[in-house]
Amino acid sequence: MNFLNNIATKSPWLFRINAGSCNGCDVELATTAFIPRFDVERLGCKYCGSPRHADIILITGPLTARVKDKVLKVWEEIPEPKVTVAVGICPISGGVFRGGHSIEGPLDKYLPIDVNVPGCPPRPQAIMEAILLAKEIWLKRIEEAEHKGVRHVQIS
Amino acid sequence: MQDTYSYLVFLGIALFNLLIFPGGLFALSLGILFKGLDRKIEARLQRRVGPPIIQPLIDIVKLSGKEAMLPETAQRPLFQSAPLLGFVGMAICAALLPIPGVSKGLPAMGDMLVYFYLLQLPAVALMIAGSSSSSPYGALGFSREMTLMFAYEIPLLMIILAVAMKVGGENFAEFSLINIIEYQAQHGQFIANWVMIPAFLAYLFFLPGTMGVPPFDIPEAETEIIEGPLLEYSGAALAFFQLTGALKNIVVLGFGVVIFFPMTLGDNIIINILWFAIKCFILMLISTTFVKSATGRFRIEQAFSFYLKIPALLAAISLILVWLNY
Amino acid sequence: MFKFLKVLVRNIFQGPATEAFPLQPAPTPDRFRGRVQLNPELCVGCGICKHVCSGDAIRIEQDQEKSGYHFTVWHNTCCLCGSCRYYCPTQAISLTTNWHNAHTEKEKFQLAEYHFVPYAKCEGCGAPIRILPPEISARIYANTPFDVSTIIHLCPNCRQIATAEREQEREHELKGETNEAITE
Repeated sequence: MNFLNNIATKSPWLFRINAGSCNGCDVELATTAFIPRFDVERLGCKYCGSPRHADIILITGPLTARVKDKVLKVWEEIPEPKVTVAVGICPISGGVFRGGHSIEGPLDKYLPIDVNVPGCPPRPQAIMEAILLAKEIWLKRIEEAEHKGVRHVQIS
Repeated sequence: MQDTYSYLVFLGIALFNLLIFPGGLFALSLGILFKGLDRKIEARLQRRVGPPIIQPLIDIVKLSGKEAMLPETAQRPLFQSAPLLGFVGMAICAALLPIPGVSKGLPAMGDMLVYFYLLQLPAVALMIAGSSSSSPYGALGFSREMTLMFAYEIPLLMIILAVAMKVGGENFAEFSLINIIEYQAQHGQFIANWVMIPAFLAYLFFLPGTMGVPPFDIPEAETEIIEGPLLEYSGAALAFFQLTGALKNIVVLGFGVVIFFPMTLGDNIIINILWFAIKCFILMLISTTFVKSATGRFRIEQAFSFYLKIPALLAAISLILVWLNY
Repeated sequence: MFKFLKVLVRNIFQGPATEAFPLQPAPTPDRFRGRVQLNPELCVGCGICKHVCSGDAIRIEQDQEKSGYHFTVWHNTCCLCGSCRYYCPTQAISLTTNWHNAHTEKEKFQLAEYHFVPYAKCEGCGAPIRILPPEISARIYANTPFDVSTIIHLCPNCRQIATAEREQEREHELKGETNEAITE
């Protein structure tokens, strides 16, 4: 099964959640995806429109009060095993918006974040490094789940 | 006793056709390979490196290991059976597909009218999926899929009629695929026949619509209506949709090859299989890959009027020429 | 209308424009604004960087025993604007070109530039002070008429006293001169 797990992690589908970001990091994510110079599709990645299809979740933005519930709801909709990546300094610590009246504050208060990639915004290459790191964590998670005998099929 | 024996033989051949060749294993692996090549070539056309060629297979392996979620408000029986419906339709289509010079498909059943109905099954499955998923995006995708299906069915029907009447001659129409192949072996390929060229062009326009690739990926537009009918699917069900897509590619491409240029190269089976695959690949290259790597997406009403204007007109020209016995 | 075909064919012949990044190091411009770096030799702890930092990433805290101060830049809230480098009076802060910032959640609070800058003792009263680095004092006191090395190891209080003493001496000298001039 180890072999199959190895294969599975070669197809990380990415899903973007914008938790009140200034769009700087989103532009950088779009750059990573669509510009021939970076081309994440080479790593098997694909940006998918639906949270149900995602494996690696890229969250940008400092989690504003208005968007908080929606972000948590969308995050719940993503099937296991999933890996969460905080892109940019805003989701990690609040960044330049920290302490603002509408900021619900660092994302790891509410969600289990796995990988952080700081930067304002991070370089496309840094985002790719984060995706590679997330892939390793993902593989570890699949193997752990198998070890425990948890089957990732459930009817909610 | 004789009846039982021949029945068993027929069943054996049918199962072989359905599960291994030309349907089942062969069509699936060819379809997945084509999908990978398609993605790779599209990337190259856009000056990217692109994913490895076996990437669709990797995707399917991964999806089958993911958690399968079911929305609480969905119509569960419909929602769960929709992916299977499309897959079964396409599997039967692939089993019926005669490969010129190699196999005749399910004996005596390779009929174009059966194709005309079965080819719509994946679209119908998508519609059921969209309408039963209880998601507003699914409903939007449902209505778009239906509009698009009506739009591309009209040229398809006219193409099929043109081909059938051309082959039928005095008997008005001949719908059997095997007879079509034999007719073309005797009277020359349709692709080199000026009467049938408009129909062939119409078929080229029909392909991207039925395969759901840009600029006609309107029902599954992932940036507009977040993949529409597929929105609520995850895990193995989504993998089934991917498999259906792979099979459908082979079926529609193979169908085009069979009705327009079923030329064989000698009697060697392996060479003929390869030749068939190459013909399908060239058809895919010119009809979808080149177009999809350079175009955006039509609006649904644009696509509708496009299909009713250009491909329908081309197919109608062929039909009228055939009717006038040219 | 068929211009796109020309572009596609040209693209095929030009080959991919993708960088081989995960396999090979990515090219980084020389002026790239990466992680903040501090040179503790030059830092005097004035705190202007802390004042201008838009991400509130810089923290300067005195040690409890007043033996020095802790200088911390937490990269996870640094927005790489470079204001600290621009305003640093002693050029102690610089921005490296290091952008390898991706890390796991466990390392979240370890990703910081940390330096402990020790205080020296005032030669006059023994109070803890940060002594100006020689390069900077040479620059600041370039046009001072007297020998700076006498006051450089003193705390502000002791400097006031030293200055007062010096001024007194000068006054005396001046007075002496004027008296002499009168008597003449």
